[in-house]
Amino acid sequence: MTRNARSDDLHRAVRRFAAGDRTHSFAALALEIAAFQREFSAGFARLCNSRKASLAQVEDIPGVPCDTFRLTRVAVHPESEDRLRFSTSGTTSGARGMHAMRVGETYQELSLSFGRAALLSSERAHHVVALAPLLDDPPTSSLGHMMALFMVDFEQQGAVSVRTPDRWLIDDRGVNLAGLERAAERATERGETLLVLATSFALVGLLDALEGRSLPLPAGAVVMQTGGYKGKTREIEPNVLRESIARSFQITEAQIVSEYGMTELTSQLYEATVPGSALERERRGAPGVYAEPPWLRVVPVDPTTLEPVPEGEVGIARIIDLGNVDSAVAIQTQDRVRRVPGGVTLLGRATGAPPRGCSLAIEEFLANEA
Amino acid sequence: MNDFDFETRRARLEPLLESARSLADPASERGRLARERLAHSSGLSAQGVDFALQRCLEIAPDEREIAALIRSTPSAQVAHVLLSANVFVAAHRAIAIALAASAEVRVRASRREPEMAELLLAGAPGSFQLVTELSPHSGDRLWAYGSDDTMAEVAATLPAGVALHAHGSGFGVAVLDEVPPEAELGALLGRLAEDIALFDQRGCLSPRVLLVNAEPESAHTVVRELTAQLEKLEKLVPRGKLTAHESSEISQYRDTAHYIGELCEAGSGYVSFSARDGWLLPPTGRNIHVLTAPDAFTTLSRYRPLLTSCAFFGKPARRAELGRAIPGARVCQFGEMQRPPFDGPVDRREL
Repeated sequence: MTRNARSDDLHRAVRRFAAGDRTHSFAALALEIAAFQREFSAGFARLCNSRKASLAQVEDIPGVPCDTFRLTRVAVHPESEDRLRFSTSGTTSGARGMHAMRVGETYQELSLSFGRAALLSSERAHHVVALAPLLDDPPTSSLGHMMALFMVDFEQQGAVSVRTPDRWLIDDRGVNLAGLERAAERATERGETLLVLATSFALVGLLDALEGRSLPLPAGAVVMQTGGYKGKTREIEPNVLRESIARSFQITEAQIVSEYGMTELTSQLYEATVPGSALERERRGAPGVYAEPPWLRVVPVDPTTLEPVPEGEVGIARIIDLGNVDSAVAIQTQDRVRRVPGGVTLLGRATGAPPRGCSLAIEEFLANEA
Repeated sequence: MNDFDFETRRARLEPLLESARSLADPASERGRLARERLAHSSGLSAQGVDFALQRCLEIAPDEREIAALIRSTPSAQVAHVLLSANVFVAAHRAIAIALAASAEVRVRASRREPEMAELLLAGAPGSFQLVTELSPHSGDRLWAYGSDDTMAEVAATLPAGVALHAHGSGFGVAVLDEVPPEAELGALLGRLAEDIALFDQRGCLSPRVLLVNAEPESAHTVVRELTAQLEKLEKLVPRGKLTAHESSEISQYRDTAHYIGELCEAGSGYVSFSARDGWLLPPTGRNIHVLTAPDAFTTLSRYRPLLTSCAFFGKPARRAELGRAIPGARVCQFGEMQRPPFDGPVDRREL
């Protein structure tokens, strides 16, 4: 069977798994994808050989460090077959990180499936806006692409154009407060549930623009926040940001849900907290606990040995994402996590590192590139 | 600066230089004590401490270098010094610069490595004060060494009127603009191995990347030889202890390097190699990434703000060209990265 035929089979199997078909287990699919990637990616084959990974069980799959995406192409297929290319943070050195996908349907189905479960809180129609810049074409931001998918899918209006300034409420002048007010009015008038998709730094920008005023959202509105700050604005503690946003929008904190995703992944994790959402009904998660979709598993590993840590202990996250059929099924992040009932808690990047003196830290090097 | 002023400043340096000389001497009681205390505080192996003291502590600087140091140092009412850890010999130069600036010098040592400043003071009593907190006033100068984060914190809390000379994070690179015959290559890379191994690569002058202007096959020869040289040096000067953070970074670096190219075990460190992909900055702990770069100077100019030092092998005209491409970085020969002239701060990026 050719590479693409095998890839297509795996994509179909993953999408069936996401739809509830358990003909294949998570482990069987993960191992099959890893074996496929070892066969068609010389880099992954070298990594497996160096770790003497037998790929007999999920824990054997070595995680590809996120940094690898910045340094080389992480894909089993050639560039000519790319359907989607998502960039990591922009760089000035030419070393731009990129996650290439050959099959867009898998990203779409997986993102929408878990997004619906986590974010849709009622049977009512939804109106979706983003506190983000207008989506570029073709999309280079996986987050922007996901937001656009949500706009189309959640509103169920058919093929609506989502590349309009009334949906993307950040422009050169900052946060478009008037646009958000109009979106809130429209949702109220039409009896729709308003869903605001935002990055953390955009929400800080919004708070700054409001200067202490409130901007009430309609009852039942949901705010999805994601991502860090990347030096773009002042940082606010997550709890404080959540409180401030709830106060400004005059909604409850439960209506603010955090998402965890990264360009290197196909899938996302969410807090299972939105009242009335399928995820909340199923898992009733606490704020700060990120639920994994059934096709993704977070394995906390020891930062030095990269072996899984005992249940409940803190490790750095190795993320096995069945959606990454053509790139890297296991990603090794530097994010500290702990498994808890219902999912994982995120504890930020490794802390407690000794001051380095004058030698350049890798983080500083990467920050300079960004 | 008149001659009297110059001589006054020069005289202030002599006790410090004498103190350093006795520390470098392994046969002296002070030298023995220094090795014992620094092995404990620095995390380096005993051989690593001795290697650094013998190779990098400036015990006999050229008078022209001293003159350059004095003449390039502005005077101050009081000179304050905030020392960094990792490169313990750096305390000597930092204090010398402060003594060139003022008769009143206050030094705050790194909490992680307080020994070197104490040892220097013990051999030059009264030449400067060791303090636990610095409190500069308007008209004073502060020479601060450390991470960029530390520099930002210092700058934010400094009273008005205090001149700050901040020397933050950086790293070194090496450029092999032409690959010498195999007979010479070993010796050349042996010297680079020393640059890497000194201070277990934790200094801002330490090379982390080697750019080779050659075809991949030739670059492979370089990788093999550098690996052999690092292994050889490891037997004489073993690496010290790694921090947990360094160990973690090395694990990730190792996997990244395997994915993007090749990785060779080189003593307790690694030499990684990629023929065409982007810059991989290895973590400290005697790890270096070798990259083929036909246009090394353009590549380097992108990292100009971070580059403190660049070892170069190639034609003199090309060396001059390199110097223009990365002003601020000290361009030197292989094996000289960790002992720049004693003519002022090692980090010249602010100049």
